[in-house]
Amino acid sequence: MNTLRPKPFDVTKVLQLIGAVFFLYLFLGFMLLPCLNTLTSIFSVRNAAGERDPFAVIRFFLAGNMGKFVWNSLKLALCLIVTVNVVGISIVLLTEYFDIKGAKILRLGYMTTLIYSGVALVTGYMFLYAGDGIMTTWLAAKFPNVNKTWFTGFNAVLFTMTFACTSNHALFLRNAIRGIDYNTVEAARNMGAKPFKVLFKVVFPTLIPTLFSLTVMTFITGLCAMSAPTLLGFDSINPEIVRLAGSSTADEAFPQARAALLSILLACFTILLLTVLSSYERKGHYLSVSKTKAKLQKQKITNPVANVLAHIYAYVLFLIYMTPVVMIVLFAFQNYPAVSMRRLDLKNWTLINFFGTQDYQYLTNRGKYKTRVGSISGVFSNEATLNGSRTSFILSEIAAALAGVIVVVACNYIFKHKKTGTVLEYALLFPWLLPTILICYSYRVFFNSNDVWYVFGQNLYYQDRVKLLLIIAYMVVRLPFSLRMIKASFYAIDEELEDAARNLGSSPIRTFLRVKLPIILPSARAGFALNFPYLYPEYDMSATFASTYGTSYAMVIQAMCREEGLYGYNVNASGRRCASTVFIMLVSGLILYLVYGVGARDLGERLEHRDRRRKRWERISGAFRKKQSSEAVVSS
Amino acid sequence: MIRLNNIVVKFGDFTALHDINVHVKEGEFFTFLGPSGCGKTTTLRTVTGFIEPAEGSVFVKDKDITHVPIEDRNIGIVFQSYALFPTMTVYDNIAFGLRVKKMKRAEVDEKVRTIARKVDLSDEQLKKAVSQLSGGQQQRVAIARALVTEPAIICLDEPLSNLDAKLRVQLRGELKKMQKDFGITSIYVTHDQEEALTLSDRIAVFNKGYIEQIGTPNEIYNHSATEFVCNFIGDINRLSEEVVDKLLAMGAPIRKEDHHYVRLERVHVNAPETPGALTVPGTVDSREYYGLYIKYYIDLGSQTIKVIERNDGVNLYEPGQRVTVQINPADLMSYPPSGEEASKG
Repeated sequence: MNTLRPKPFDVTKVLQLIGAVFFLYLFLGFMLLPCLNTLTSIFSVRNAAGERDPFAVIRFFLAGNMGKFVWNSLKLALCLIVTVNVVGISIVLLTEYFDIKGAKILRLGYMTTLIYSGVALVTGYMFLYAGDGIMTTWLAAKFPNVNKTWFTGFNAVLFTMTFACTSNHALFLRNAIRGIDYNTVEAARNMGAKPFKVLFKVVFPTLIPTLFSLTVMTFITGLCAMSAPTLLGFDSINPEIVRLAGSSTADEAFPQARAALLSILLACFTILLLTVLSSYERKGHYLSVSKTKAKLQKQKITNPVANVLAHIYAYVLFLIYMTPVVMIVLFAFQNYPAVSMRRLDLKNWTLINFFGTQDYQYLTNRGKYKTRVGSISGVFSNEATLNGSRTSFILSEIAAALAGVIVVVACNYIFKHKKTGTVLEYALLFPWLLPTILICYSYRVFFNSNDVWYVFGQNLYYQDRVKLLLIIAYMVVRLPFSLRMIKASFYAIDEELEDAARNLGSSPIRTFLRVKLPIILPSARAGFALNFPYLYPEYDMSATFASTYGTSYAMVIQAMCREEGLYGYNVNASGRRCASTVFIMLVSGLILYLVYGVGARDLGERLEHRDRRRKRWERISGAFRKKQSSEAVVSS
Repeated sequence: MIRLNNIVVKFGDFTALHDINVHVKEGEFFTFLGPSGCGKTTTLRTVTGFIEPAEGSVFVKDKDITHVPIEDRNIGIVFQSYALFPTMTVYDNIAFGLRVKKMKRAEVDEKVRTIARKVDLSDEQLKKAVSQLSGGQQQRVAIARALVTEPAIICLDEPLSNLDAKLRVQLRGELKKMQKDFGITSIYVTHDQEEALTLSDRIAVFNKGYIEQIGTPNEIYNHSATEFVCNFIGDINRLSEEVVDKLLAMGAPIRKEDHHYVRLERVHVNAPETPGALTVPGTVDSREYYGLYIKYYIDLGSQTIKVIERNDGVNLYEPGQRVTVQINPADLMSYPPSGEEASKG
């Protein structure tokens, strides 16, 4: 539309040029080239005779030596689709659609997976259900025949991930169900449909697009599972990639090329699924045509038996969600003997798992007691834990902030330039096509050399530079999510706002800073705030790098699953593990509150809140003054 | 004051404006009227500088501003959506343009408060977020923001279209009063012909990127220059061939091949015989009761003609009732079937 003539020296043009160079560098240097390198490495394999044999790995694969991992991952993904959808749909229906007593409390319970996930969640479940876990120990005491190792392998992974992966259902399906026009439900009822008929014929069809997306996402999550299979011992693709990446040709046949092949297979699956998803999404959604939407009202289950069963089901699920959280929180405040014996001691509560140290006494095999001074330490007094936490904190802060800034700048361009903007958008969405493990694996291999000219010939997989590599990986992996999040807010900017600012004499930069940025800032902040709790307890990527210079918090927590031995190796690991999980829950919970509670308020709401606070304060101080003056009168 | 000379605007291959010539006088309230997509907003955006014309030039006070950047034109604008900055308070919204000009704090404050008083915004309202104001108040903020920098011209792009019917009528009056008080040259864009007729000193009627007619509301309504204008402004009857033949038979000075129109209020039901006027018998088909007036649909055999009668409380014709309809040839507006010069009745 705008055909204004450029000024002789156009700052915008210069900035655009710098931006173009930067994005090219980012896309080619840190997305395309490392991943292409991984792809080609499959074909540059040398066989035992030292000859180049491009199809050696593929023959190796077809011979059936690697099929197990692929099959296991597929099995997990397929089973997860069923279990996650069953649990996910039911928790949303129970809290949003049906009239279940205590729905608010239930919802809080079901949403706990939003504040702890990944390693924190898996170790939490292990704390309960593993061989030495609270529940297993308790069950074994009651029923001696119980198989104490039941919580390992496929079943354990499926169980844990089923509940861990319902967070997306809790967020997106809930929104979808809330978007239903209640008048359509009333209309169906009016025409004689029974509640369950309404559910299946009217409500479900509108949820299908959301459910389809959630199913695809669940499938990808299952395929790319990392922390649960690693910790619970299940041979799926990702843990194998990480193992192979750290292996050498001396131990086995072309491990790197096999790792590459597995990553590429994962990428193929992901690309295929995302293509299916996007072509489905392009067909269009069931948009509500209603202009006067009525708010959904809870449906009473009229059949008393069904009602009781629904309530029982709801509360059983609630117990499954809440027990690990409650237990972890309780044990985080228990002392060393209680935690190591997995037995609650209701008389003794302590903060030792968070702060401070205690001496550790143990019995040697000569029957003597020995004391190690200060060996029992808390999260914030144990150097290894604190270091891991600090590293993760700093790296994820920087990466989340960088991703936010890059995406804001990119979106500003995308919305002004339709054609080149689309190219940029796809470039930023590129990491979504690839499993994070592929990206990290590619970085690890590609930058572990002094030959990459565009990083000035520096080996980035060397000592402290790994941290830089981690930051880049974190940032690149979070770009697509940040883009989706922040781009949505750019739609809220009325084109006329920009025109208005320019008409009032504002320069493009001032318009961006004063008018557009304040509008998108809440979602940019939300993007940052959601990236941070994702990255802070992140395990998959840092484990792929597996460097002592980039030991993340989650890697430390994972190490804490290896309980102390007889001589006090890793003392109080379980206590610190609980405390760490509590700490992660607090941080994530606080951030979610700030984003969705306080941060979601617009200027009007903020001013109203301030007004209300002021009035409350005036009332209190007024009453106080009145009291003082009346006292003065009485005393005089 | 403002002169648009031979303006042509193109978007790619599409020509949005063809040879637009407008002259707006100092202090005038000038309206661009037309259906959506006719080019009225494009013309306005050419004046404000958001669009640079492919041909032609824009003059303000005899100075060519065709290539002057938007921010240097000193033309205020009130947008359809008001385009109030949602993250700023009312005060900050109004002060934005002044702060861009790096005015001193005290001066900004004084100017903001003065203009706020003039558009009836209280100090309390200045502290609020724009989302806390009603539609009418938001409009006043938009006007205050456009006027506070003391522009030479103010452009209003359908500023009433977001409001409900009652508020629209009320604010229409306020807008006109404000324009009079400030005495500022105004360009107003609307598709609402009633708004255009009530507010404007002069109107330019747009159609498909051309200007069909420029004139006062009375000229536009009673002496529409083209068939499009007469159809677009107000309701109108096109006379059937039979009626035209009857008019010709009684010697009316009209051409048979032209299209002839008559406004609803110029046709009369059961009026006493008038020399030179045609009286045709008909039957009341239906009626719409508006309170102030009544609209009748009268079947003349060859066509159904619409008539508006003042609600005088005496005559109320029932559907099926036989009546006469009277048309005066002097009230006709006639247009050649295609392209020929219009001959006004």
